[in-house]
Amino acid sequence: MDHTQELQKALQELRRITGITLDVSVDSPGQAEQAISQIRCLCTAYKEKYNKTDFLQSLLTGGIPPYDIHERAARLHISTDDKRVLFLLETKATDDTVTEILKSLFPSQTKTHLVPISANAAAILCTIRSSETPDDIRNTAHAIVDTLNTEALAQVRLAYSSVIDTLAGLPDAFQEASLALKVGKLFYSEQTIFPYNELGIGRLIYRLPFPLCESFLREIFGEDIPDSFDEETTATINRFFQSNLNIAETSRQLHMHRNTLIYRLEQIQKRTGLDLRLFEDAMTFKVATMVINYLHAERNQ
Amino acid sequence: MASLSLEGIQKIYPNGFHAVKDFNLDIEDKEFIIFVGPSGCGKSTTLRMIAGLEDISGGTLKIDGKVMNDVEPKDRDIAMVFQNYALYPHMTVYDNMAFGLKLRKVPKAEIDKKVKEAAKILDLEKLLDRKPKALSGGQRQRVAMGRAIVRNPKVFLMDEPLSNLDAKLRVQMRIEISKLHENLGATIIYVTHDQTEAMTLGTRIVVMKDGVVQQVDTPQNLYNTPCNLFVAGFIGSPQMNFLDAVCSVKGEDVALKVGQYELKVPASKKKALIDGGYDGKTVVLGIRPEDVHDSEAFISNSPDSVIESTIKVYELLGAEVFLYFDVEGVQMTARVNPRTTLRTGDKAVFALDMEKIHLFDKETELTITN
Repeated sequence: MDHTQELQKALQELRRITGITLDVSVDSPGQAEQAISQIRCLCTAYKEKYNKTDFLQSLLTGGIPPYDIHERAARLHISTDDKRVLFLLETKATDDTVTEILKSLFPSQTKTHLVPISANAAAILCTIRSSETPDDIRNTAHAIVDTLNTEALAQVRLAYSSVIDTLAGLPDAFQEASLALKVGKLFYSEQTIFPYNELGIGRLIYRLPFPLCESFLREIFGEDIPDSFDEETTATINRFFQSNLNIAETSRQLHMHRNTLIYRLEQIQKRTGLDLRLFEDAMTFKVATMVINYLHAERNQ
Repeated sequence: MASLSLEGIQKIYPNGFHAVKDFNLDIEDKEFIIFVGPSGCGKSTTLRMIAGLEDISGGTLKIDGKVMNDVEPKDRDIAMVFQNYALYPHMTVYDNMAFGLKLRKVPKAEIDKKVKEAAKILDLEKLLDRKPKALSGGQRQRVAMGRAIVRNPKVFLMDEPLSNLDAKLRVQMRIEISKLHENLGATIIYVTHDQTEAMTLGTRIVVMKDGVVQQVDTPQNLYNTPCNLFVAGFIGSPQMNFLDAVCSVKGEDVALKVGQYELKVPASKKKALIDGGYDGKTVVLGIRPEDVHDSEAFISNSPDSVIESTIKVYELLGAEVFLYFDVEGVQMTARVNPRTTLRTGDKAVFALDMEKIHLFDKETELTITN
């Protein structure tokens, strides 16, 4: 290939990547070589600046102004108006195996984008069809977790945002998924999948400021806020709540005489002033224990 | 293959939820063990602890005598099959099965050998070039199994692998899995909430409830000699009938009073009631639907265990008929011959096979007679 042909090819590549059309004339092979080299540098710089992963990473963290999103997304051939869900994955360590599995699970690079977040976290931005239901999205989440469990034998937790209609909603989706992961790990640690829209009361508590939490606890327990309850008491209370405050059912499940259960509940009442047999007190206690867990977790961090 | 030992295994989550309590089990090499129980009973959590996908809060897990508590999942030599298997959409069946080995940098020739062997076992040889889209649900599930088989693991862990299949396919795949167990001679631990799967597949079944093991036994023993009310009610479909009965001991005779009926307890069951001091106390009488008879011959031979009622629902299932009726306000089911003349609304007489009754302590719910 002579220099002129090579130069034309480089110019075409520049036009393809950047949309910029340049007119270059050269008098000698030396000048052509120099021009080709400069055009290639320009292409590389442009690719770096407008790399999909970099772009999406910046967009997730709110680093791209709204007026710039459309143009930059168009250059990277990312549709701005598709419905999407952001999955946020946390593993013990996101190694090559996890990345390879995710790439193979979502082979379409136009519909799904895999964005590394940190050494142990990655985001998966998935386009969804308008006919997809929350159950379909949940199934996708299960498929991701189960596949990584099976193929990579990796401990995985996955949170996901609500559906976004445009790419401009991505920073919010990232915040939702990040919050879902934090709240899920704190309040629902027995689960592996945390949809933002199903965080329930945990999401509410997580948004409360510390002073408000502390004053709420003081209001209920006075100055003697219990740090935690022993395992037996916790198990009794959990089972009592799971049995809808039913004494007979709880005692049956715990293989405990009903009088023993009543004695334990009375001991809790003595300690906290809350009669867990009453719905209102039980609800207050449930919220208070969640607030205590939240404060503990945040202080430990 | 391998043996496993779980000693006092516990799982307590950071939020205080105690999912598995003092789980003890020894699993022999080549056993097909089933964990069965209602949702949230801790069966999947136990399986995930064996796999290393959940940390063990207490107790010891051994595989082939080696403590595995802190061993990385990938170094435990196990393979898992889940309910939500996802095949790689752009890969052929061959590549789907080979993918895990490629990631582990297994030599190509070895991968080829293992994939072809697994395909032969699973009858997938003719489908190796197909993409997942061109496969039926059952074939996809077999590919998912194939991905586990090519690893040649010590232990297979399966978490409700058939739950996403329709009823017909599930029956087919159940047979396939059973054959697979025989062909591979593998140690398999299988989680399900479906008691039919549990009864048909397992060499031993672990029944769990609220994180606690209720009973570990063969399917036959679980059915015939349940250790408590929960196991008795959980195993068997339709489930065992339960009636509250007051025990009455008069000299050598023991009777159970169910409302207006007085049922004579056979000699084989008497001793436990007398020795347990149940005279005058309420116990729970359990009887399986197939032990409630409507045939005249049986009724005339069992005058001391006759009950009467009106048929509320008649259900013909082809080879058998289920009759639903009330006794003392409690719904009961009888599984009878399809030639029965009884129909909805008919007055009916039944006799209980008292040799087959199960008696449970009303308070502890534990068996008295088994």
